[in-house]
Amino acid sequence: MKADQLKGHLDALLLAALEDGPRHGYAVMEALRESTGGQLELPTGTIYPALHRLEAAGLIAGSWSVVAGRRRRCYTLTGAGEDALLRRRADWRNFAAVMSAALEGTPWPNPA
Amino acid sequence: MAEPSLIANYKAVLLAELPLPLAEEVSDGLAEAYAKYLRLELGAEDAAQAAVSEFGSARSVVEAYSSASPARRVARALVVTGPAFGLCWAAVLITGKAWDWPVPIIARALLGGLLVASVLVLVIAIRAARYRTVRRSGTAGCVGLAVLDTSMITAAMTSGPGIHWLAVIAIFASAARLVCIARALPPMLA
Repeated sequence: MKADQLKGHLDALLLAALEDGPRHGYAVMEALRESTGGQLELPTGTIYPALHRLEAAGLIAGSWSVVAGRRRRCYTLTGAGEDALLRRRADWRNFAAVMSAALEGTPWPNPA
Repeated sequence: MAEPSLIANYKAVLLAELPLPLAEEVSDGLAEAYAKYLRLELGAEDAAQAAVSEFGSARSVVEAYSSASPARRVARALVVTGPAFGLCWAAVLITGKAWDWPVPIIARALLGGLLVASVLVLVIAIRAARYRTVRRSGTAGCVGLAVLDTSMITAAMTSGPGIHWLAVIAIFASAARLVCIARALPPMLA
């Protein structure tokens, strides 16, 4: 799956990758690659600005450490980030159900 | 063991183009990727090539940072909302017969020049690919508009025959923009 197909979904993917605990940028990308069986074709370098954007929005919090002599920034999901992830998941389920109903004739989920 | 030149050059571009913390963060990730490919038993040059391919070019990383930079977001907002402020102040100047105000011609020319220069640097901040250019231009545009707003507020409150309701609206709008600029500047400079 190419980067332009992910437009609008990148934030949710990054938040989901941080759900299990703190990760640095490259570990976030590795987690996404692992969870999707390597289907994401996203230039790793471009996820760093997206992480900064999420941090500025208060959805994740970053902190520095030193590993193997290199400065490393790790990110943690904030409370607001957890809420945002829940909302994004609900939106995605709804979107997927609508698209499946329209494209594949999947029965629309009965609210009852 | 020395890093392959491909990795060293990549880091050099990041250091030249980005603030140190941003360059350090991406460099750490690149080092992780390089180490991963070495563990997969690739040679040093092949591992470096694989890591760089995975990250995308250093220029594309810089451009991604530029696109997401707070300075670009603020510049875009100021350019989009600018015409509304311009209309407000134009109405004030016309209804208040500003040509009769005791403002020296040199001050009028300076304010006009400042407006044009501020808009120009904000447009540069929106369009530039280089992160430092985006940040500097965005900051310069913000400062320029802040000086302009302050000057216009001062001129309207001291030079006119009285404060018209249109001037009250323009003064409040400019004061609100000053507050927004003051709040936007620290993240832009971080």
